[in-house]
Amino acid sequence: MPFSPEHQFRADGNNNVPPPQGYWRFAWRSGHGQNSLLFEQRAVAVNLGLFGALLLASVIYLSLGSVKVAPMAVLQALFGNADMMASFVVQELRLPRLAAAASTGAAFALAGILMQTLARNRLATPGIIGIDNGATAFAVASIVGLGVSIAPPAMALAGATTAAVLTFGLAAGNGTQGYRFIVAGIGVGAVFGAITQLMLARVAIDTANAAYPWTVGSLNARPSGALQLLMLGLVLGLATAMALARSLTLLRFKDATASGLGVNVKRRRLEVLLLSVALTGLAVAVAGPVGMVGLIGPEIARSLSSSRSVPVLAATLAGALVMVLADLAGRTLLAPIEIPVGIVTAVVGGPWLLWILMRPQRSFT
Amino acid sequence: MLLLLTALVAVSLVSLLIGAGSVGPGRALALLSGAQDSEARFIVWELRAPRTLIGIVVGMALGVAGALLQAVARNPLAEPGLLGVSAGAAFAVALALVLGASAATLRISVAQLGALVGCVCVLSVARFRGVGNDPIRLVLAGAAFSGLLASLTSLILLYDQRAADEIRFWVIGSLAGRRLDDLLAVLPSMLAASVIVALIARPLAALALGERVASGLGHHPNLIRWLVIACVALLVGAATAIAGPIAFVGLVVPFVARALAGPDIRRTLWLCLPIGPLIVLAADIISRVVVAPSELPLGVLTALCGAPVLIAVVRARRLPML
Amino acid sequence: MLVQTTPRVATLIKRGRLGMMGILLSALVVGTAQARTLETAFGDVDVEGTPKRVVTLYEGALDAAVAAGVNPLGAVTTRGGDNVASYIEAHLGENTPAIMGVVREINIEAVLAQQPDLILAPAQLSDEQYQLLSRIAPTVVPPPQPLAPDNWKAEARLYGEALNRQAAIAEAIEAVEQRAVEVAEAVEEASVGGSAFLVRWMPGGPMVMSENLFSAGLLAQAGLDVQDAGLVGERGVHSDVLSLENLSQVDGDWLFLATLNEDGQAAVDAAKQSSAFTRLNVVQQDHVVPVDGQLWTSANGPLAAQAILDDIEAALLP
Repeated sequence: MPFSPEHQFRADGNNNVPPPQGYWRFAWRSGHGQNSLLFEQRAVAVNLGLFGALLLASVIYLSLGSVKVAPMAVLQALFGNADMMASFVVQELRLPRLAAAASTGAAFALAGILMQTLARNRLATPGIIGIDNGATAFAVASIVGLGVSIAPPAMALAGATTAAVLTFGLAAGNGTQGYRFIVAGIGVGAVFGAITQLMLARVAIDTANAAYPWTVGSLNARPSGALQLLMLGLVLGLATAMALARSLTLLRFKDATASGLGVNVKRRRLEVLLLSVALTGLAVAVAGPVGMVGLIGPEIARSLSSSRSVPVLAATLAGALVMVLADLAGRTLLAPIEIPVGIVTAVVGGPWLLWILMRPQRSFT
Repeated sequence: MLLLLTALVAVSLVSLLIGAGSVGPGRALALLSGAQDSEARFIVWELRAPRTLIGIVVGMALGVAGALLQAVARNPLAEPGLLGVSAGAAFAVALALVLGASAATLRISVAQLGALVGCVCVLSVARFRGVGNDPIRLVLAGAAFSGLLASLTSLILLYDQRAADEIRFWVIGSLAGRRLDDLLAVLPSMLAASVIVALIARPLAALALGERVASGLGHHPNLIRWLVIACVALLVGAATAIAGPIAFVGLVVPFVARALAGPDIRRTLWLCLPIGPLIVLAADIISRVVVAPSELPLGVLTALCGAPVLIAVVRARRLPML
Repeated sequence: MLVQTTPRVATLIKRGRLGMMGILLSALVVGTAQARTLETAFGDVDVEGTPKRVVTLYEGALDAAVAAGVNPLGAVTTRGGDNVASYIEAHLGENTPAIMGVVREINIEAVLAQQPDLILAPAQLSDEQYQLLSRIAPTVVPPPQPLAPDNWKAEARLYGEALNRQAAIAEAIEAVEQRAVEVAEAVEEASVGGSAFLVRWMPGGPMVMSENLFSAGLLAQAGLDVQDAGLVGERGVHSDVLSLENLSQVDGDWLFLATLNEDGQAAVDAAKQSSAFTRLNVVQQDHVVPVDGQLWTSANGPLAAQAILDDIEAALLP
């Protein structure tokens, strides 16, 4: 046959087909025959680059602050060889906070790119369907003491779940499609937002102050239990997302096309949505609502990667990077006053977002 | 229509009769029929009557603005409150508070200007991208812009906690304590907007048939759109300046009006006039009664009541088409 | 950890203390060193000797420390400003403390940079912040109490004990009580007493402050009959916005209008724009007193008490 693959790709003596342009091929023999794995060169380069940037940012993060620690001293302090104050600062104060920043940034960005693939819209985040508002409302309720004594992170997670369940339930009938789902989410989010405002207006200003970090998103002294849960969730979620990468790429097309290419559309959409919601819930339970990262991270990833596939890993790394840099800026710009990370990301991300909106759109459907 | 007007009159009357205070319906009725009761006279005429009047005006403004916006954006989700108006007004108020004003003496024009700028910014951005066929994009753009402004507001308030304390109450939206002077201050912009609406109602109806048809009939689609946006900005700016950001009224009222009126924008606009105040006054009466002798702010009630209505309407099989 | 457990805290404190502060403390412990055990919200905390380097993360603590004659090295800003409260600044002279952030975002690194021996913290400190702060230095957090006018005395005594200046604190508290009695006598003599309400004015109506507030308690001690018209709930600091229709419920002999504006008269003028306000008796008799809202509604401590009594005297006995 004139157009069989053998004509295009000349097999060499071992019957190995060379990879398509721009890919690396990793092949091995097993009991079932030849197996091969294709790595896109550009994606590998981007991911490595982002990872390197993240490491660099982390070292800078660990060295800057009210107590300055030189970068070499940081490395020593990490292994317990520096003087006591530096060790304390690096290990006890900054390292947990760095871990929190990177994890929440990664989780928000991953949830964001999943949601954007699902909604076929670059501007979608889980926050749009009211999860952030639900988590905030529940967390604030526990702080202002409405009779519940559960810790705020657990309440935040419960709130995110409740909001998601409500949105799902109220949009039933059409599944996750169309704007009914989003409108239900907006409605649920608005109700929770109103409840939060009502609660904050009725309490003393000092209690409202205590609830403040949960309303804007802050990484100051975050609960460690929630952080560990988040990191676990992030690893699992990232693995799942990468396993679903092929389906994600296909989901970008219309449902009919995706179905035709072998994707169980309805089930996949639900799975992806659940993953996105779970990641957001866990991340909000640690840092509060920092929605912008879910837009900025994926956008960076998309502008660096090719448009052939959904850059899941790149988005995750980019999100972590953004959050680390944002928290660094928040801590150091106006020292000793700290700007909460949620505000920094929103202030920087907002104009950028508007600029994205006003640019002509690339062919990302 | 007649039914709605009667309902409106009835609700207005109820608004005069009921309140959080000790002057109940009995005493108020007695006053209205001529009894001499200075306490009741003060409460009914100095407190409840202006409040009712402002409620009616705000309801009309928000309802009409919502209908206009949905018509021009061809998008049943367009609601000024979701599109950056409240965020813009809050930002302007926060800025003014930080620069030294006090919430009680805040000049009306500050909030109005902020609302105007916010609304125009979002709509321009959305229009720039060619809005019209993608409801989600408009809503998401509005949410993004509101988020930006809200975070800027938070940033400002981080440093000035006095302003943060005062804005906590303004930003929820309420009709309590608003004076007729404020109403008079925004009256010019409202009148201007009404004139514009009267003039473009017909071209707007033609626009619903499609751009080509409208051009063929001799209208100018772009001009119409810009005029409508200006109108919406004026109306919503005025309403927000008086009463603070009140969510959902501009979304629910057109839905209901369209369900009753059908696709003709002119009939919808007419019906928005009584329906808007009905909803606002009803919410206001509830806010007075629920936690007497205190009051709940109006914005909370419209969100709590409006969101379920919104969801219910959206779930309905037959959505009113634009 | 989602739930706090006390035994772990004690271990952490001991560990932290031995680890870092052991070196510093051993250089400071001389002579009159006695280990005191304080009952805090997070369990028992041991403090030795007389701490020299003190950081306060709460205005009430700053107040108590300055009243006891200690100049803290670090403090958080007051509400609504970018420095400490003005009534405290007057007592500080030139030794203004370094800023440790705002009360809702404490900069823990800045605290560490001061290398304190003792940290005095507010009652609403979160668990996570306590964990970190107690690693730096013994951290004293007052145990939670239901809202009552005398809470400040217990807090001040706790801080005084931590600072090893019990006598100075007791003296300061005594001075306040003495002065309150004097003011009460003068008020009685001048027959200007009567019922009083403390409110925050909002355009939609007033928010009535609880009669269990610190300042309300001082008003009561000064001879006025402070009420809140039964509007404030048990745990609340203030009521919901009282409807303008019910404004007569706060029409007593005196009305104290708490405002965050520097210009108190502007606040009164703003309130007078509401016709419901101007027809109140108390307004027509010109017995409306604008007071500093920050001082009257959330400050705490012996110096604040003196400042409030100053205001009361100026208002009632010009």
